[in-house]
Order: sequence, then C-alpha cells, then structure tokens
Amino acid sequence: MAVATERKTSSVGPLWLERVPGGWWALLFVLLTAPVWANDFFLFQVMGWTFILGIIALSLMFLAGLGGMVSLLQMSVAALAGYMVAIFGTSGVTEISMGLPWWVNIPVAIVIAAIFATLVGALAVRTEGIYTIMITLAIAAAFFYFTRQNYGIFNGYSGFNLVVPPELFGVDWRRPVPFYYLTLGCAAVCYAAVVYVSRAPFGLALQGVRDNPRRMAALGYNVTAHRIAAYSFAGVIAAIGGILLVWQNAQISPGTAGIPAVIDILVIAVVGGLARPIGPFIGALIYVLLRTFSPDFLLAFGLSGERFKLIIGLGFLAVVFFSPDGVLGLWERWKERRRQAKDPLTGAGG
Amino acid sequence: MQAFVTRRPVWSLVIAIVVALLFWLVFAPWPAELEEVLGRKRVFLNAVFGGITLGALYFLVASGFTLIFGLMRNINLAHGSLYLLGGYLGFEISEATGSWLLAFPIVFVVVAALGVVLQNQVFSRMEGQELRQTMVTIGLSVVLADIMLWIWGGQSYTIFSPDWIAGPMTLPVIAQVRDTGEVLYLRYPAVRVAILIAAIVIGIAMWLILNRTRIGMLIRAGVDDREMLAASGVRIQFVFLAVFAFGAGLAGMAGIVGGTFQSLSPGEDTRFLLASLVVVIVGGMGSIPGAAVGALVIGLSEQLGLVYAPTYSVVFTFLIMAGVLAFRPQGLFGERR
Amino acid sequence: MSLAAPRDAGERLGSVSSGNALELRGVTKLFGALAAIRDVTMTVRSGERRAVLGSNGAGKTTLFNCVTGDFLPTSGTIRLFGEDVTRFPAYERIRRGLRRTYQISLLFNGLTVTDNVYLACRGVSRDRFSLLRPRQGDVLVARADELIEAVHLTSARDTAVANLSYGQQRQLEIALALAGAPRLILFDEPAAGLSPTERAELVSILNGLPEHIGYIIIEHDMDVALRVAERVTMMHNGLVFKEGTPEEIENDAEVQELYLGGGHG
Repeated sequence: MAVATERKTSSVGPLWLERVPGGWWALLFVLLTAPVWANDFFLFQVMGWTFILGIIALSLMFLAGLGGMVSLLQMSVAALAGYMVAIFGTSGVTEISMGLPWWVNIPVAIVIAAIFATLVGALAVRTEGIYTIMITLAIAAAFFYFTRQNYGIFNGYSGFNLVVPPELFGVDWRRPVPFYYLTLGCAAVCYAAVVYVSRAPFGLALQGVRDNPRRMAALGYNVTAHRIAAYSFAGVIAAIGGILLVWQNAQISPGTAGIPAVIDILVIAVVGGLARPIGPFIGALIYVLLRTFSPDFLLAFGLSGERFKLIIGLGFLAVVFFSPDGVLGLWERWKERRRQAKDPLTGAGG
Repeated sequence: MQAFVTRRPVWSLVIAIVVALLFWLVFAPWPAELEEVLGRKRVFLNAVFGGITLGALYFLVASGFTLIFGLMRNINLAHGSLYLLGGYLGFEISEATGSWLLAFPIVFVVVAALGVVLQNQVFSRMEGQELRQTMVTIGLSVVLADIMLWIWGGQSYTIFSPDWIAGPMTLPVIAQVRDTGEVLYLRYPAVRVAILIAAIVIGIAMWLILNRTRIGMLIRAGVDDREMLAASGVRIQFVFLAVFAFGAGLAGMAGIVGGTFQSLSPGEDTRFLLASLVVVIVGGMGSIPGAAVGALVIGLSEQLGLVYAPTYSVVFTFLIMAGVLAFRPQGLFGERR
Repeated sequence: MSLAAPRDAGERLGSVSSGNALELRGVTKLFGALAAIRDVTMTVRSGERRAVLGSNGAGKTTLFNCVTGDFLPTSGTIRLFGEDVTRFPAYERIRRGLRRTYQISLLFNGLTVTDNVYLACRGVSRDRFSLLRPRQGDVLVARADELIEAVHLTSARDTAVANLSYGQQRQLEIALALAGAPRLILFDEPAAGLSPTERAELVSILNGLPEHIGYIIIEHDMDVALRVAERVTMMHNGLVFKEGTPEEIENDAEVQELYLGGGHG
C-alpha cells in the first residue's frame, strides 16, 4: 500500500512553520525588539543571565526530561568550557593562558567539555537511574574541589579574569545590546536543536530508553551507548552556556561551579518544568528575577537581603510538593481545566 | 569473607600484600634510604592516622546515609545539613552546660526527632517517588543551610574537648629512631584516638544489631525487598521511622565530633555530604562494612594526598570512585541488583 | 503483508548454513538454589514453527529470557543461526534476526502507535543514532506504516499507547516484533486475554507469516498453540520432558496425565 502523502499530522515528519502557534510569534517579536523598551541592566544582567542559565538548564532538561537521567553535572561541564576558553584564549592570568585565537579556543573548549561529559556519562549510565544524581553530584563536587586546589591549570581560588568575547565584525560583543542578541541567538539555536532532535530518531530512541530500556534492548538498541551519546549532546549545549557565562562575568573561578550553583541549575530546570524545552527558560527567568529583586523585597520586610537563598529553597520545596512538573505542569493543568470548564453540551462558557 | 577468598584468590592475595605493607610501614622503624624517598616517618604517620581518624568521622556520617538509602531508597541529600546542625547544636549545648559528653545524647535526640518529623510528615507521603523525595531533600538542604547561616553566621566554630581527653597521648608506634638509638614513639591527640575507638565500637554495635537481632533482620530483609517485607505484615513505616531517626541522630552526633577535632562553618555540610556520597559509591549501598571500608579508603586517600600531592589530592579520591564505578558499579560490598 | 522485504542493510545476518535457527545445549539457569530451567537441549530449524507448552513455573519464560539475553544462563550454550550468542548482549541478538513479544505488553506508553513502530524499525537499521529527522518518503516511515496496516491499527496510528484498548496493545506488541527483517520470533503468550474473534485473528496472522520466518510460541491456550505449531516441546519443572508433533503430544498419555488432567478432545 502506498504511503499516503497527505497525512494530517505526521508525528515523525518534518517541522512545518505553519504549525507554530501565534503566541510564539508574539514572544519572538517582543524578544527581538527588547532593546527598544528595556534598559541596559535589564538586557545584560537579567535577560542575558536568563538565557545563559536557561541554556545550561536546557542541557539538564534534555538528559532528565527526554532521557530520564537527572544529571547534576551540567554546571560543571559548562564551567569546564568556560575555563578552557580562559586557558586556551586570553585572560589576565598570562602565565597560564595560551592566547590562541577565538576560532581555536572556542571549538577546543566545547570539544573538551563534551569529552568530559561523555566520560562521566560512561561512568554514570551503567548504574540504576537513582544513582545518577549521586554520581554526578559527587563528580561535580570533585571538579569544584580540584579547580580550587589546583594552581597549575586552573589557578586555584582566583581563577581567571579579563575573559571577554572576541571583537568580531567591529562589534564589542560584551556591550549590553550586542551581548543580549548574542545570548538570545545562542538560546534560540540550542532550543531549536533540542526541539528538532527530540523528534529525530536519536531523540525518539532516547525517550524510548527512558520509558522502557528493556524493550529498547529487545528492539536492537544499545541502551548504554544511547545514554552516553545523550550526555555528549547535552555536554555541547552546556558548554555553549558556559562560554557565554564566562564572557558575561568576564571571569571564572571555582565558585562558578560550586555546589550551590550546581543545585541552582536543578532548581531552575525543575521549577520551569522538565517536559518541554521552554521549561528551563521559564525557570531561569523566575530564578533571575527572584535573585535580582528579592533583596529589595526582603529589606522591605526588615530581613537581610542575603536571605534570597531561603526564598529560593522554600519556593523549590513548594514546587516539588504541589506541582512536581513545574510551571509547565501548572500551565497544562490550567489549560485542561479551562477546556473542561466549557459546557460539554452547548460549548458555551469557559 | 571465606567465600570471597575462595572465589577471588588473586585479589585476596593483592589485598593481603597491601595491608601487610601498610602495617610494616606503620610499625617498623624506617631505614634511612626509605626516609630519603618518602620523607620523614612522622609526617607519614600523621597522615595515616589523620586519614584513619578522618575515616572514622566519615564512617559515622556515611553509615546513617547508607542505611537510609539501602532501606528506603531515599538519597538524603540533606544529610550534610543534619551533620552541621548537630555540630552547631552541640556547640551551643557544650557552651551552655560546660559538658562535652552531655551534648551527644541531647543532639542525638533533637536531630533524630527532626528525622522522625521529616520521615513521617514528608517522605511517607511520597512513597515510591524516589526522585521527588530526593528533590525534597535538596530543597531542605538549601533551606537548612541558609537558616544555619542566619543563626550562626559565616565564622568557624570549634568545640573544645574536655580536659580529661585533651592533649596528646603516646601510641605504641615508632615515630623515629634517633642516631643515639633512642626510640621515639608517636604522640597523637587523645581525642582523635577516642573518636576512632568510639567509631569502631558504634560500627560493631550496628553490625551486631543488623545481623544478630530481630529488628536488624527486618531491616536487612527490607533492604533486599521492601515490598515483600511490607506484604509480610510488618509495620514497615515504623522500621522506616526507626532507621531514618537513627541515621539522622548519628549524623548529628558526628557533627559534634567534627566540630571537636576540625571545625564547623558553612560549607562543611556540603563537604560531609560529598564524603558520604563517595564513601557509599565506593563501599556499596546499604552495607555497614562497605561504609567502613569506603570511609577508611577515602579518609586515607584524602590525607595522604594532601600531604604528598596537595594540588592533586582530589584526583585520587576521584580516581578511586571512578575505578569502582567502572569495574564494580554496585560498590565494593554492594549487591548487584 | 510485505515481510519478505529485502534485508535491511543494518542487520548482521550471518550465514544460515547450519539450517538451524536456534540451538540450545544444556542450558541451565539457577536463581540461588532454584533451578528455573535445567539442562535444556532444543533445536529449532529455520522457518520452523514451534510451541513450548507447560504449566506455570515450568520455565518457559525463563527460557525465552535466556534466549533473548535478559538473563545470562548459569551454564550451557545458545546458538543463533549457527553463531554462539551465549554471552552476547540483547541488542546483538536482535540485530541477528531475533525478535520477541512479551506476556505483559512492553510498550512505550508516552508515545504514539506510529512512534512505537517506527522505533522498532529504526532499532535494527543503521542510523539509529541519527540526529536528523526523516525526510518525506523515508523508507522506514513507509515500512512502519505498512506494519501498522498489517496489524489493523491504521485508525489508531496517532493515538498514545496509554489510550489504546488491551487488544490493540497486543496487536501493537506483535507489530513491534515484525519490524525489520525478523528471522526467528519468540511469542510469549500472545493470546492471553484476547476474545475468541481476536484469537482467530491472531492465528491467521501467525499462519500468514512468510515461510522464512520461524517462531517459537509459549501458550497456555492449547487450541491456539496446536493450530499454529509444527512441533511441540513440553516443559515441566524446568525440564524438557517431551517433544513431538501436535497430534503426538495431544494423544500422549503422560502429557494428558500431567498437563491436560487426563482425557482431552
């Protein structure tokens, strides 16, 4: 029987531009025109940071949401990429930095970070799923302690400073508006990549591995290899986030990948929602807004501005208790309720 | 152990040789050539004993962690926070009452009570959702860490050991042989030796309880197959409560210990949580002997590494962990599920 | 049903010289002191249709698990199409033409019927790591559609598995086993829970499979089993205790005593 060419919805077919709902176009418009109505602080500090954290949390969402592997390694992979850019490129620590040009140090950094992710993945995937958190957390901690005590490569406590993006096409990419577009662009690319891959054979197989690894093995898939490959792919995404992060701060130190930062990425991904790639970005926006504005909020109540950690922790606990699938889950349930609120007989109401 | 020796004769031989070598290095006087290569024996001894006593501390923290995971499949990432909380409380109590010993039972009860509340009100509602439980413990660790920072601030606290145990004692280990032929024995802080002895006693007691009592049998059965145990009519929630409370209380007491011979400050919770993770990965989940061996190995590697290769000591710990994961993913004493 | 389709390039189909699809020799599986199967020796020729019968606990599913690679046998060898696969991981055996269905459907609940079948087709092809989405007219997409057609699930193509009826799930289970170019399929109680009509359909699907595809079927339902098998192996308490044609088995006194409760048909 011939394959019907006019299939209505092809679940394994290509992406059609027409199927993108209107809300997305509005969002795109707002994002592209942001420099018109937002100030420099908002563009660079709030949105820039949102995109960066969103990218790193996206790599966690890929592993956890699509692959069922909750990896706390992503921040460390990102930091490693940042460190490699500092070491292979230029920084204020001239004894260690090699001063190679951007078209060498950026790819090298991404490759090294991806290799690191792959090796850790190879260690972590042969154990039961619940161990993944433990193992990746332990390795992330080892990474933190190592960068802190090692001076030959990582310059210990001080880390690297004066790490800035290269000047390309005559633009200083660290100025607020260019940096905003840079991070927006990278976030869009990473987002699109995850959306695309999740319906490609690799992504589909990864979801199969998540749902039923035994069945996947019985269908001819090498489950272990697939999981490790997922770590590699996620590692590349995290590396991109890490490079943008080091450029934003113009410095990197062990604290960048300290345990609090590692846990923050998990918080962001979970609060946003692990079900779809937009979740991490939602979570990142919430986190950044809280981080930026809660000190003022706290001071108004007479508490020290440093208690924002407490607010984030309590918020995270609330999410885990009441809506474990995050903000995305809340939204899905709200949509469902609205749909059901319509009178089933007359279609009115709602 | 006999079964192990018969099944793996080569490995048993290797381990026996390594242990014998270690014993010789510790107890025998060192010839001059050896001192040339490895440095002074006293330095080595301090590192070894430091590693063993650190391992004792890690064991106290990690054994509670491994029992909680082994039985309830709950990765309690707030375990480090319980340690630090116990330490801070122990500091306050010993300051207030002037008694170091009194702090132990009080802290045990308080932290165990907190554990009971957590298990009863929080974790039992999420039965079977392991990932969600772990997320809750992460959230708790963040909240607890910040509350402790709020109350006790960012500085270091040290708990002073009582006079009757303070100061050095002499161990029957040769530290140095002077040119005159005079033999000097090692002088080591008595409190560390006391803690080592206490850890060994507690470890043996736990092993005995697990393997020689009825409740211990229930716990071991639960570690093997939780559903089966519940199906056999045992009030499994009580067993869970008891284990969680005990594990938490033990971590709290370990905090007092850590506060005595190291110090307490923000960040120590992370450090001891990580140590517990590594010990359990290396030793195997749910195994007390595994926690003991893992703690000893990690403690030694950390201290020896700090003394002989300070900028790379973390790498040793990491390599041990990676090695175990690569070749025996369930841990040295763990059961392959 | 176009299952005589040319072999997919990704499958490792070795020589079929020995003519035997499956050779088990002295296969034993111990769980602690319990012998689930003991010293099982069995030969299934290429294209043969075999039924493995026995009461609960006879070791039939354990046998399947050893053949597919879910369990490592305690002793004995397993040869698949002449190759010793005793220590091979599951996916290596699948890529040599082995397939299996499960007593309790093992499907991907979060995905649609099409996704499930497409995954099965991809699993034994090259490019299973492909990061690119399939183009219009992709061969495997077409193959998946054909399979869905073959098990009469076209109308439910875009339904999530969780929303399928039990019978539809069982049909999907079979479609997964037919993906790629199977040479030997293990059917684990495919008739369980089916209505008489569905059972008849199952029998017609099984009997309609191309000649080169052999299968081994575990069943409790003697009617189905004896209608679709050329040879029957009887197991009891982990041992193979009888082998013969369906007629021989049906009329065997020992079998009647043990399994059919004396007197059948």
